[in-house]
Amino acid sequence: MIFENMGFYFKEALLSFRRNTLMCIASVISITTIFIIIGIFLLISLNFNLFLKNLESQLEIIVYLKDDISTAELDNLKNSLTSIEGVKEAKFVSKEEAFQRLLKDLGGQKDIFSIVEENPLPASFEIKANDPKMIEQIAHKVEKYKNVEEVEYGRGIVERLLNFTSIFRVVGISILILLIFASILIISNIMKITVYARRDEIEIMSLVGATRWFIKWPFILEGFLQGIISAILSILILYKFYFVVIDKIHQITPFLPVVWDKKELLVIGLALIVLGSLVGFLGSMFSVGKYISE
Amino acid sequence: MIRMFHVHKIYPNRIIALKDINIHIKKGEFVFLVGPTGAGKSTFLKLIYRGIVPTKGQVIVDGINVARLKPKYVPYLRRNIGIVFQDFKLLFNRTVYENVSFGLNAIGATNLEIRQQVKKVLNLVGLEHKKRTKPHLLSGGEQQKLCIARAIANEPMILLTDEPTGNLDPDTSWEIMQLLFHINMRGTTVIMASHDKLMVDKARKRIIRLEQGRIVEDIQKGKF
Ligand SMILES: Nc1ncnc2c1ncn2[C@@H]1O[C@H](COP(=O)(O)OP(=O)(O)OP(=O)(O)O)[C@@H](O)[C@H]1O
Ligand SMILES: [Mg+2]
Repeated sequence: MIFENMGFYFKEALLSFRRNTLMCIASVISITTIFIIIGIFLLISLNFNLFLKNLESQLEIIVYLKDDISTAELDNLKNSLTSIEGVKEAKFVSKEEAFQRLLKDLGGQKDIFSIVEENPLPASFEIKANDPKMIEQIAHKVEKYKNVEEVEYGRGIVERLLNFTSIFRVVGISILILLIFASILIISNIMKITVYARRDEIEIMSLVGATRWFIKWPFILEGFLQGIISAILSILILYKFYFVVIDKIHQITPFLPVVWDKKELLVIGLALIVLGSLVGFLGSMFSVGKYISE
Repeated sequence: MIRMFHVHKIYPNRIIALKDINIHIKKGEFVFLVGPTGAGKSTFLKLIYRGIVPTKGQVIVDGINVARLKPKYVPYLRRNIGIVFQDFKLLFNRTVYENVSFGLNAIGATNLEIRQQVKKVLNLVGLEHKKRTKPHLLSGGEQQKLCIARAIANEPMILLTDEPTGNLDPDTSWEIMQLLFHINMRGTTVIMASHDKLMVDKARKRIIRLEQGRIVEDIQKGKF
């Protein structure tokens, strides 16, 4: 039944588009606007997530070693460090390497060190954890090891950062749900107006003996099309502006990590399309159901 | 074809539109429904196509208890009933042709059936040459003919018409009457609500007279 009459439904949906062009445009603009807001929100979340991940991955424990450690002891220490639960890797940085790094960081000012005869920097291990939450625990363990001079890690920062991320996620998801809800509400209200504008046709259909679903389908299809068209429009607009904005940000703060990968952006695009069709479908279904009496 | 047993209709605003109606209308009959305004004529017709349900009593149409019919079967009842409304209910943004085809489309007729039926009924009512016109360019009589064409496009067993000659001059009214007689002659049961004394007297058909929701008279070949 549904597929046999698909031609009629499509024709009616298109006809309605032609007859109520202005209203359709208005509704597509409103829905597109909401989707752009949702999209911007998703893009910010995506980048922020990357930023947090980056920050998390930079969290590490630096274990400074005593100068008089022997090679055998060093090997031992490395083994015991890597065998601690939660340690992802323990990278050895020799005195020499540390010095080279310092020189590199200082760039042109290296001549200050020409007066220093002996390398003052200690050798160290840089430990990365599988989970940033474990850092503190690992650090406390390492402190008690032999040949360890000092242990350094972002005391407090770790917790604050983790706290912040979880708050960010909860707030983000709440806002997202709110926005989706708003778009369903808007579509269903727009569909109510569309349905109201065509109440004569609906009444006639129902009086000549059209079934409820037969009456509903063109409207549902129309809502669905509006949702999809709006989603595609918002994706095109977002796509155009995203790279412009990202480029600007990159120029201003080059070390801030941003998402360039089109595959990751594709996920947001797909999400918007799915959302668009779903919101259009549900929004029109609710409103039409209310207006069609038996 | 249509029977009512002790039918009462009380609207939610507590207006009693029909009181204890008992009636039997046979297949192929032509019946006038007369009475002053507010007597309950439109209400009577609405009960037949289940535009409304009776507050009390039974309405049987072609053996089906309309009041107890499940909502999902109502469309199929209505496919057997053509309705010409007091307020036309034409779609003014569609052509004459589309007004008729729309109804057929709505019940899932095939394109071939639609083309054949629309042509047939537009010919019958004499509007074939105006099929591309929009209804607002038609005269009152032509609009009424279009309503009739739409109502019979599906070849229903019953045709309900609510004051089809309401605002028409006597000649046009008589033309519409002839059309309805013709449709009746092809076997369709026709019920026509009317104020039009002249027309009803001239027709000499069965008359059911309603007053304040009651049947006060039911005569064969009567006078208003
Ligand atoms: N939907 C409704 N809700 C409440 N009251 C109604 C409704 N429809 C009709 N009525 C009332 O029921 C009574 C009968 O109305 P109905 O329309 O059946 O009369 P009628 O005989 O068709 O009148 P007319 O000749 O003016 O068309 C009237 O008093 C009317 O006001
Ligand atoms: Mg009436």
